[in-house]
Amino acid sequence: MSFEPKILGIACNWCTYTGADLAGTTRLQYPQNIRVVRVMCSSRINPSFIFRAFQLGADGVLVGGCHPGDCHYNTGNLYARRRLAVTKKILEFAGLEPERFRVEWISASEGNKFAEVVTEFTGQIKALGPQTKFKIS
Amino acid sequence: MAVSFQQIEERLRNEARRLLESGEVSLMLAWGKGYDENHPMPYVAKCPSDADGIVFNEYCTHNMARYLVRYPRGTRIAIAVKAADSRAVVQLIQEDKVKRHDLVILGIPAYGIRNPKTGEVVDGRTTCGLYNPVLYDILIGEEVHGQPASPPYTVLAEYEAMDKEARFAFWKKELDRCIRCYACRKACPMCYCDPCFIDQSKPRWGEKSPETAGNLMYHLTRFHHLAGRCVDCGECSRACPVDIPLYLFHKKVAKDCEAMFGQAAGMSIEDKPVLVHFRAEDTDNILK
Amino acid sequence: MLKKIAIHQLPDLASGLMGKGTLVAPVRQDAGFQFREITDAKQVDLNYHNTVISPKSVFFPQTEDFVRYRTGRPMLEAETVEPEGKPLILFGVRPCDVKSFEIMDIHFSGTGPVDPYWQARREATTVIGYAFDLSATAEPEEFYRTLGIGAADPEGSDVFMVRRGDELLLKSITARGEALLEAIDDLAGASADDGKFFDDTVAAGRDFKTRFACVDAKAVTKKLEDLFHNTEFWEKAAAACLSCGVCTFACPTCYCFDICDETLFGRGTRRRVWDACMFTDFTLEASGHNPRTKVYQRLRQKIGHKYSYHVRKYGVISCVGCGRCTRYCPVSVDIFSIVEEAMKT
Repeated sequence: MSFEPKILGIACNWCTYTGADLAGTTRLQYPQNIRVVRVMCSSRINPSFIFRAFQLGADGVLVGGCHPGDCHYNTGNLYARRRLAVTKKILEFAGLEPERFRVEWISASEGNKFAEVVTEFTGQIKALGPQTKFKIS
Repeated sequence: MAVSFQQIEERLRNEARRLLESGEVSLMLAWGKGYDENHPMPYVAKCPSDADGIVFNEYCTHNMARYLVRYPRGTRIAIAVKAADSRAVVQLIQEDKVKRHDLVILGIPAYGIRNPKTGEVVDGRTTCGLYNPVLYDILIGEEVHGQPASPPYTVLAEYEAMDKEARFAFWKKELDRCIRCYACRKACPMCYCDPCFIDQSKPRWGEKSPETAGNLMYHLTRFHHLAGRCVDCGECSRACPVDIPLYLFHKKVAKDCEAMFGQAAGMSIEDKPVLVHFRAEDTDNILK
Repeated sequence: MLKKIAIHQLPDLASGLMGKGTLVAPVRQDAGFQFREITDAKQVDLNYHNTVISPKSVFFPQTEDFVRYRTGRPMLEAETVEPEGKPLILFGVRPCDVKSFEIMDIHFSGTGPVDPYWQARREATTVIGYAFDLSATAEPEEFYRTLGIGAADPEGSDVFMVRRGDELLLKSITARGEALLEAIDDLAGASADDGKFFDDTVAAGRDFKTRFACVDAKAVTKKLEDLFHNTEFWEKAAAACLSCGVCTFACPTCYCFDICDETLFGRGTRRRVWDACMFTDFTLEASGHNPRTKVYQRLRQKIGHKYSYHVRKYGVISCVGCGRCTRYCPVSVDIFSIVEEAMKT
């Protein structure tokens, strides 16, 4: 059986989640490997969510937020950008493939981009294979 | 050093006596006699006669900034600091845990400070490698100039060069040893949360038992919480009873933060901690 | 029975012991020596002073599973983890640590409820004690002599070892120890001279100097009780204490634990994990009230428990003077210096 990765998507309510909705209503096809969790803002994401997701068996984590400057709360994603950049560095130094964690800015009107990003990311994770380092066995 | 440890000790005692006598401060944080010469310990002088108990020698590794948050806000405190310790004080001021005007900072320029457990010189290896305190009111001794610098991040080269499999294996081996005594967070001047995330039960962020999963969660999250705040004093690793080289990870995160945000922790009280701040010129390059 | 074996034959002795049960012995690790289950006879290393974590972890491991269950299923389906009673040989325990087993027995198999896990392991274990090196001086942290424990006391061990030059003398102390020694082939018979050396060492161990003069347990008990409300004294004593758990985890006589459920994907384990009276949430009550919020209160509890309440209740100081708490304390808080200071107050 081919490897079907489990990908956690964490999407901000105002942009990426709405973008995902748009992808759905416009009947765009994208892989079903992503499970999307909605948060109010990308800055609501505690880095521990990401560590924990990998521990609980996620093969990849995709965070989606508004484009910088477009945040519903003005500056939330600007804080998130710094924070998640650090998260990525930490995962990398701990020895996890940094490609398993990705942050994308996807606006409410970018249903296309959402589908493209998910397709591309899923392909990338498939190529990397199952994530076993952090996973609790 | 131009000024000997003994002279520093003498001056610390004099300053303590003066500050406590005049009532300028209600207590002074410095080092005192431990169970033997090589093991001085953190010491609190509360009255002028306590001043004679102050000790300073090459084994005074402890970061006294750790104790600042223990006293109620508004307590006037005199604190003796070495270079890295002064950065911790600055960082605590940035985070508004202490007020600048409540402190009298006695800066001690020093090098050749040793770890009491191993006897090794810590400069630049497990600490930030600065010799002179970045902030002080009273200078105890003379600023060090001309001493070869000990760069803080050279120890990282070996680990950065590892491939990710080897690095994962390395951290797994090190972190699996953790017994969860939490000495690292208790010795850390920047770890003042009550309760710590790992002690919370709703939500439970990680397992409490000392096994791979919980250890990884505890340490990775702690490294993250100290990103841009760690002043590289090396106390976490020194406190560890099973010698986990936590300082390596903290140094790496500090180095990355410096590269990404152009600011080192605890260098100026005008700065804001990098993760509660952003600049218009930030770009997505940091996410690459 | 007194036997001997050359030091360079230690791996032979170890493999002989491995044939009689699971061997747990000091092993050199990245962070100093630790007691570990031996898989390769060459791992056993007697060039240690003492281990980082005390051998209590052999009988009372840091994590111990009690019940395994699945959420949403009837309770009857949960399975209990039975205590294991496989034969165990605990090799190279220092006399002060041997003494600690006796103190721990009070709590786990003496008075009150019996802990089946502790008891099963304890009964299945043959303890082989090992005298400290009397030709060297004691380490600055140690004070077992203060508490009346010699550096070469064989009491409590089943077999006791003393090093003589390049040889290891092994003497059986109990019938169990005698049976074990008889069953090991590589041991040679010892001479009368060796016997004399062994007895002399045990005697010399009683005169071996460690820190502090001997104490009168009753006087200490009384004094600490009197000092309970002397906040100033305790605040001063605890000024440096960071309130971490190093001292209690390394201690051979600390036995506090927490029972916690760890559930993941519907599979759960109810387990016992070491806890420490030095942690803030140790005394946190469900109401949110915490009777010991201050560091000095927790340190007072620890010292009071070991040197006062324990003596009142069980008649013995709950400390063996191994010095681990002082040695591994990040800020060099020395428990006995505080007791001594209390006596002077």
